[in-house]
Amino acid sequence: MAKVLIPTPLRQFADQHDHVDLSGATVGEVLTALTAMFPDLRKQLFNDEGKMRSFVNVYLNDEDIRYLKKDATAVASGDTLSIVPSIAGGGTGVAPPSNSSAGVAAPPVSLSKEEILRYSRHLIMPEVGMEGQLKLKQAKVLMVGAGGLGAPLGLYLAAAGVGRVGIVDFDVVDFTNLQRQVIHGTKDVGRKKLDSAAETMQDINPYVQVDKFDTALSSENALEIIKDYDMVVDGTDNFPTRYLINDACVLLKKPNVYGSIFRFEGQATIFAYPGGPCYRCLYPEPPPPGLVPSCAEGGVLGILPGIIGLVQATDAVKLILGVGEPLIGRLMLYDALAMRFRELKLRRNPECPACGDHPTIIKLIDYQQFCGVPQQQEAAPVSKTQAGFESDTEIDVTALKARLDRGDKFQFVDVREPHEYQIASIPGAKLIPLGDLPKRLNELDPGVEVIAHCKVGGRSAKACDILRAGGFKKVKNVLGGINAWSDKVDPTVPKY
Amino acid sequence: MIKINDDAWKTMVAHAEAKFPNECCGAMIGRIDDGAKHVTRAEPLENTYTGAQGARYELRPEDLLEADKKARAAGLDLIGIFHSHPDCDAYFSKTDLENSCPWYSFVVLSVKGGKFDHANSFLPNADQTAAEKEELIWPKS
Repeated sequence: MAKVLIPTPLRQFADQHDHVDLSGATVGEVLTALTAMFPDLRKQLFNDEGKMRSFVNVYLNDEDIRYLKKDATAVASGDTLSIVPSIAGGGTGVAPPSNSSAGVAAPPVSLSKEEILRYSRHLIMPEVGMEGQLKLKQAKVLMVGAGGLGAPLGLYLAAAGVGRVGIVDFDVVDFTNLQRQVIHGTKDVGRKKLDSAAETMQDINPYVQVDKFDTALSSENALEIIKDYDMVVDGTDNFPTRYLINDACVLLKKPNVYGSIFRFEGQATIFAYPGGPCYRCLYPEPPPPGLVPSCAEGGVLGILPGIIGLVQATDAVKLILGVGEPLIGRLMLYDALAMRFRELKLRRNPECPACGDHPTIIKLIDYQQFCGVPQQQEAAPVSKTQAGFESDTEIDVTALKARLDRGDKFQFVDVREPHEYQIASIPGAKLIPLGDLPKRLNELDPGVEVIAHCKVGGRSAKACDILRAGGFKKVKNVLGGINAWSDKVDPTVPKY
Repeated sequence: MIKINDDAWKTMVAHAEAKFPNECCGAMIGRIDDGAKHVTRAEPLENTYTGAQGARYELRPEDLLEADKKARAAGLDLIGIFHSHPDCDAYFSKTDLENSCPWYSFVVLSVKGGKFDHANSFLPNADQTAAEKEELIWPKS
């Protein structure tokens, strides 16, 4: 005979007995005998499918039968069986994602009448409901960049009711932004993107707290800024910052909801989710500087960041709610021309220096240097920005203007694309797109000086290298390209 | 109805405030007379949740078994579980519900900024799909 102890609340289903003596060779047999004797007890211990309810633990003497042979655990005479519930729970928003659900935040406080009305279409969906809306309210998301991707992210995260959104940005709205950065308007040109974005978001939803970080994210400030947030959404457009965000997120164990865009194509995924891959698993090293053109150089379809940013926003919200299948370990690729979404599997690399089994990146590094970005791009020496500057390799637009006016003898080459030439051009320049230059060197005289320009100076610098390699002795790059020409020489030439 | 006496209540509040900003948990022991629950003793138990405890708690079943045994030995019953919600209202969360057990009263104490704020008691159902609010009486002083 084994003794089965009946917990107090179950005694009402067991004729008020606090224990019963039952026979059976195994735990399963004893429990069957117990529920045969007290049928009402059955419902308390087993569900409709006859499985033991999840909160019920059975102990044989002092041991949980799950770690013995479960139902088949042998019972000897004199043994004591106890029924013990397993109990857990929790209330607020600071819990990290658990293994079973991806929820990063959980419910707090409550919603006001006005908020209930505002979020009505969320509240009536069981996947969100009051619980989910409170998680959103309690969530803290950091947006890095208030540009193309940041615009839709900011608009929708605010509208969805994410309680706190941090924005890191140091840029100012200009006219070329308005084609895609829909969080800013024409009236905002010249304002800080931070102020413009925060104002729009607060207009959409005054219940959102917007934290403004008027700075560039750097190795010095990244950990300090990111640590207060549940996750980061990466809306940046350069490699050093992407690696910086990645490493900081891995170190802080915060998911990084990533997106990138170029021309007609975009990508999105979630990096640095515990157990999932990080940016370095996908790209262990940055591309050589200049190989991958930026949106300023290569252009971007204005609608594209809308789509990619909203994929990021969707997955950020899913992570907060703990619903669905976020893009963890999956790289989503979008091609706007083909109008096709594809997907690549990503795996965490056990050898990854950041998130691998034996990480070597244990603090943030110098990401400009890591990505080979020359420091002088940040700020050119004062002399170079002075009107009339000219050296053996570079020339300022005002010096160029003076030489053109004097009728100096040199070959003036524009290395941009024909469609750019149609937008704006400097009189007298011969169009040879950078990609065609190597095979069209014969159109130029190596004995005569060449001055090359492009839009802002990057491509023409490469053209100068090609020319020098091709035997041209005197080659100069126009600093700041045609945009500087428009600023300093001829404002009627449109900037783009 | 669940009524908590002075001693037990002091223990619960002190434990909840001491564990702030983490969640605390424990057992409530007493008697049930004609359906009315009287808690005369509270026993703080260890929060064994392995992750961040700011918004989670977990009770070790062995600890609960031990608390039940002690209660029995004293001629009392284990009648409820209490836990705290740091900087959060005393509601029965989804996590609470999904890890609950219908046999006990669940008292949730809201602790805001380290100080007890308010409390509620809940009776979850066996399917862990809903919890009914139970009248809770604690010494107001």
